[in-house]
Amino acid sequence: MPEIEFTIDAATGQLEMHVQGVAGPACDDVAKLTKELLGEPGRERNTTDYYIRPRVRPQVRPEQRR
Amino acid sequence: MSKYLVFPDVVFKDRRLLVAALTELGYPEVDQGESLPLYGYRGDQRPETCEIVVRRRFLGSASNDLGFTHTAEGYVPVVSEYDQRALQGGQLLVKLRTAYSERVVEEVKCRLHGSAHRSVDGQVIKIKVRF
Repeated sequence: MPEIEFTIDAATGQLEMHVQGVAGPACDDVAKLTKELLGEPGRERNTTDYYIRPRVRPQVRPEQRR
Repeated sequence: MSKYLVFPDVVFKDRRLLVAALTELGYPEVDQGESLPLYGYRGDQRPETCEIVVRRRFLGSASNDLGFTHTAEGYVPVVSEYDQRALQGGQLLVKLRTAYSERVVEEVKCRLHGSAHRSVDGQVIKIKVRF
């Protein structure tokens, strides 16, 4: 299950986030959402999950005869 | 006389979440508009203007208005030297950043239709959002 782990340091107010279980650039959508609310991060790094290409199996359904 | 300081490194991107964070810190009365004037503790108008203002009567008898000016990056705090030391035990901006960050996490959770698990370990707050 996809998960975002947020860590807030109450001593400084600094926020860090780690997106897990979101394969490929779909992770960017989550990052985009947080950037919209937080602004550009001071530091950004892609984890190994980012480079996993999601497998999409094409599904072909036979046409139903009428 | 207390001077105003601007903190360009402390930026709050979203107006609604900033107002919610201010409410959480005990400042629910907020003026919002364009180029609102700031007043000092003696009622004197200061040259600075802001888009979000907590008036000094809601802060303390010796306080000045607390403002947030809108920039391309977001809302930047404009706070007097005195209030930076006096408000929230001298932790105003740290507490505001923390409250804002928590509001951001809540917003992300809602937009992703997820669930959250929050834990606190000393000064560190961990929130896991599953979606």
